[in-house]
Amino acid sequence: MLLTKEETADIIPQKTPFVMIDSLLAVDEMSFTSSFIVDEKNIFYKDGELKEPALIENIAQTVAAGFSYIGQQDGGEPKIGFIGAISKLKIHKLPNVGDEITTTVTQQHKFENIYLIKGENHVNGSPLVECEMKIVVQV
Amino acid sequence: MASREEIISTVKEFLSEEFEVEKSTIEPEANLQETLDLDSLDYVDLVVVIEENFGFKVTGEDFVDIVTFNDFYGLVEKKLAEK
Repeated sequence: MLLTKEETADIIPQKTPFVMIDSLLAVDEMSFTSSFIVDEKNIFYKDGELKEPALIENIAQTVAAGFSYIGQQDGGEPKIGFIGAISKLKIHKLPNVGDEITTTVTQQHKFENIYLIKGENHVNGSPLVECEMKIVVQV
Repeated sequence: MASREEIISTVKEFLSEEFEVEKSTIEPEANLQETLDLDSLDYVDLVVVIEENFGFKVTGEDFVDIVTFNDFYGLVEKKLAEK
């Protein structure tokens, strides 16, 4: 684990109850990985499942945490990114309370300050949501 | 190396498909940005299809002087020659 829950919360712009990521697990130049445990108090938890918006937000926040972490490692300010577009969205399954979600985002392309990433989250190897996002990183 | 005609044919094919425009609108002197209705996010898609079809990367600087499709074909020719 690279950052604890508290450390991760400190480097992303979202605040409770909109935080949909616990810990940043790994970061390299091309990909970021995070974990998140589903809590029944989550605002997107309904009818025994964590709903799709939480899983999409989870992918976006993994990107945010990864860029912030890199920004800090480089000795600068955390970089802030905005979702420009979401495409190729596939919903496979929704997780339940207590499930530990592992999320991986991989950079596909970069054009100036716009990144095309592929994000996917899993529980025990089973896919939940996958999509592509265009992230505009503030410069 | 691909001829100008081959480049034009390939470009028309993937641009019309990616940006959902009629091939007939892709005229040499037509404005690329206006014809394809490109916003800043769409340029990422353009970069992706260029790399997929021609195998080279482009940067923002490469697009500075690109106004028409003819300019774009010239860019492709130049990049292919540099490969």
